[in-house]
Amino acid sequence: MSHTRTHTSRRGLRLLTLAIACLTASTSPSRADAGDRSEAPAGDTKTKAAATHVFVVGGMVHLGDGRIVPNATVEIEGTKVVAVHEAYTLANVPSDAHTIDATGKIVTPGLIGADTSLGLLEIEMEASTRDHSRGDDSLVRAGYRPSTAINADSSLLQIQALEGITSAAVAPSGGLLSGQVAWIDLLQGAHKDIVFAPSVAVDGRLGQTAAGSRAATISTLRRILQDARVLRSRASAYERRQLRDLAADAADLEALFPVLDGKIPLTLTANRTSDLLAALELAKEFDLRLVLLGGAEAWRVRAEIARAGVTVIVQPSSNLPRDFDSLGSRLENAALLHEAGVKVGIAVLGDPHNVRNARQEAGIAASYGLPREAAISAVTHVIAAAYGMDQSHGSLEAGKIANLVVWSGDPLELSSWPEAVIIRGAQIPRVSRQSQLRDRYLRRLRTR
Amino acid sequence: MTTTARIVRTLGLAATVASSACAHTRSQTTAPSEQALPDPGDSSTPLRPPVRVGASVLVKSARVMTATGLTLDEGDVLIVDGVIQEVGENLTAPEGVAVVDARGKTVTPGLIDTHSHMGVYASPGLRAHSDGNEAVAPTTPYARAQDGYWPQDPQIPWAVAGGVTSAQILPGSANLIGGRSTVVKFYPHVRSAAEAHFPGAPDGMKMACGENPKRVYGDKGGPQTRMGNVAGHRRAFEDGKNYLRALRRYEEELDKYTRGERDEAPDPVDRDLGLETIAGVIEGDIFVHNHCYRADEMLIMMSLAKEYGFTIRSFHHAVEAYKIAPELAAAGTAASIWADWWGFKAEAFDGIRENAALLFLAGARPIIHSDSAIGIQRLNQEAAKAMYAGRRIGVEISDDDALRWITSNAAWALGVDEVAGTLSPGKMGDLVIWNTNPFSVYAKAEQVFIEGTLVYDRDDPATQPTTDFSVGWDLKAAQGANDQ
Repeated sequence: MSHTRTHTSRRGLRLLTLAIACLTASTSPSRADAGDRSEAPAGDTKTKAAATHVFVVGGMVHLGDGRIVPNATVEIEGTKVVAVHEAYTLANVPSDAHTIDATGKIVTPGLIGADTSLGLLEIEMEASTRDHSRGDDSLVRAGYRPSTAINADSSLLQIQALEGITSAAVAPSGGLLSGQVAWIDLLQGAHKDIVFAPSVAVDGRLGQTAAGSRAATISTLRRILQDARVLRSRASAYERRQLRDLAADAADLEALFPVLDGKIPLTLTANRTSDLLAALELAKEFDLRLVLLGGAEAWRVRAEIARAGVTVIVQPSSNLPRDFDSLGSRLENAALLHEAGVKVGIAVLGDPHNVRNARQEAGIAASYGLPREAAISAVTHVIAAAYGMDQSHGSLEAGKIANLVVWSGDPLELSSWPEAVIIRGAQIPRVSRQSQLRDRYLRRLRTR
Repeated sequence: MTTTARIVRTLGLAATVASSACAHTRSQTTAPSEQALPDPGDSSTPLRPPVRVGASVLVKSARVMTATGLTLDEGDVLIVDGVIQEVGENLTAPEGVAVVDARGKTVTPGLIDTHSHMGVYASPGLRAHSDGNEAVAPTTPYARAQDGYWPQDPQIPWAVAGGVTSAQILPGSANLIGGRSTVVKFYPHVRSAAEAHFPGAPDGMKMACGENPKRVYGDKGGPQTRMGNVAGHRRAFEDGKNYLRALRRYEEELDKYTRGERDEAPDPVDRDLGLETIAGVIEGDIFVHNHCYRADEMLIMMSLAKEYGFTIRSFHHAVEAYKIAPELAAAGTAASIWADWWGFKAEAFDGIRENAALLFLAGARPIIHSDSAIGIQRLNQEAAKAMYAGRRIGVEISDDDALRWITSNAAWALGVDEVAGTLSPGKMGDLVIWNTNPFSVYAKAEQVFIEGTLVYDRDDPATQPTTDFSVGWDLKAAQGANDQ
């Protein structure tokens, strides 16, 4: 399938682990500072070779799919979870393995940012730092695949990762169909490996995207999908130039084939009830795997969404009628959807610099009625499943990529903090551009 | 009374400078309902709000966080006629005073936001609702936020539901000098900015550094650079200084004339509403609120302020304030900041979560502001993030310290600290009852009081403020309510 990983061998991942691993500062602080640059490629994150056999011992483990296992141990080998053990103690850990003591802590899968521009944008107002939009006028840019532009050196990556975001869907924007969504693990500096899969979804936006009209937007999208079907079934006629004009460039229509085949989802931003219903209808008509983003008024059509089995990814704090498409916005949106049986994801939409606040958003949803476990799933497993990435991400199970976080307490609570963040089996270093700026001036203040 | 105010009075003009200066002394602790009828020519004087405040209430047995350093594990707050009379333990209600049992809850002062554009950038974000930037020239000190404030902005009730009782409404930051801000209280059902005006609060003057004026005016005659920005600021203050000098000269000549030392009355100085604002700043009647991100620019603005003899009351956004924390402490300039916004433009690229903590450590005055109608709904959570980030690096910040970032420090920046911002006898009875520790993500304001009057109750929709805009969208619910 086109959305599973295609590029890195297991051996490659092991080498990567060596390059990015850094021993836990909580268990062995002296070693955390003992970075040996000679082991890392120039420019890569300061590293220290780590055992690839890691045990996160004794935590209250949230598997991500709603289940909680108290006093459990996550065993990691290489980049993957090997097992989640119950009734395991420090004494059981093999002597050559590395241990992270999570006793009294909470362990969750790494949080996942949905619909982000991570790696494609450093400073929003500076065009020279942006690659999230193919800057042409066409409405249909489905062929745009920005994964090759993802910048592993972006300062945003580690800043999010240190606060528990370990993976992200990286979506382009602009036009009615913006392009292909990449899936990354937040490995700052890992140029060759940051992209886990280059095309896991096609992203678009309803509303007044086409011809300044909501109706024109829907009919244009329908025509695009029809023409993609036509192109697929009559490719040779197209090659012989015996086909009528199509609604978009062939390359952009071809990129929709996996969407038509149901191999990857179409993620659509839509807020107004009429747009949400139109999206459901299109999904039914073309048998698409649809994911709704934003969904300000989704609670109003929750029964319909539940019947269609569509996931909605919301930003719970968005409760204002910021336009006439979102007059029905409300804080209980996530809870009402969940109650009706809709799979609800939670994200910070439109602020790549603070994707990290997804857990605060989840906390807000929880304080307005979403069960806490569902809120944790909403920033882990639900997002992975929405993008068709739950075979590898979003939960802690044997065979999954070892992306996980050891929290000091309730992961949704503002007083809690990640004490260890593990991405692809290795603990990430506890420094970021922000922490270094902070320390520069903290030192100055303290030596005043 | 200051020179500007006195002279403008002499001229018989109903000036806002005069009115703010007077109002400040007139009604320090007076609930608006008790005030004399307003002078209709003076638009900054509060009218009588349709819903009166100034009630009496005893809130009992709560964890009382006063924002003065004192926290009572189980304490009471007694408000009489809108004014806090006593904070203590085992207080008894005077006859006829309602008692609210707040056992297990936490009580704080009403939160105060130093930076809001509600009313001037209302929801829905229609072009017709864009009333915050008079972007016709880089210097528009004559513009007043109170004249653009739409009290039916449906965002406002949500701020109250978040425990916010007062806010400064500012012009935007397109201009070097965007105009006057106004401080409002969220009295229910007000119909104008005048009715919402915080009694006695001085106006502010909004200034901006950096990218925004450059971007807006770079192709429209400038400023195009930070050099141009500062030159523009300096030019404005030179003009203000000259205006003040002319007014003073006029006053001297007028005095001579009244003493008979001069035959003819001097020609009065033509009133200039913009220069009057700047003169008010130099005189100390109007507080400067300066949108400024970068440390170097803040240092420049502080030295400019010194040159013209005023103090910047608060920098706003100030993502690099932590770099000049000792200098801000020494100048007595507050920093109104976000907990974690950063990176959306170059001048915000060095933002850190520990900005407030480092300011606090240096003895400066951090304030958590929103600049957002979403953020204003949970100033408590934003302060929490800033506080916990500081604690994690070993800065000792108490809950009460962090509470001041959204109450008493903000009150100080807005010039209302004598009457608001803490739970202390003599201050306005603005308070919030929270279901739990306000620094929890699960915290909710359950009841909000303004001057002793319940203006929001989470469990009672009838008390929840609404705006005209929010009426009429849910006809089924409306019909249901009519049928009852």
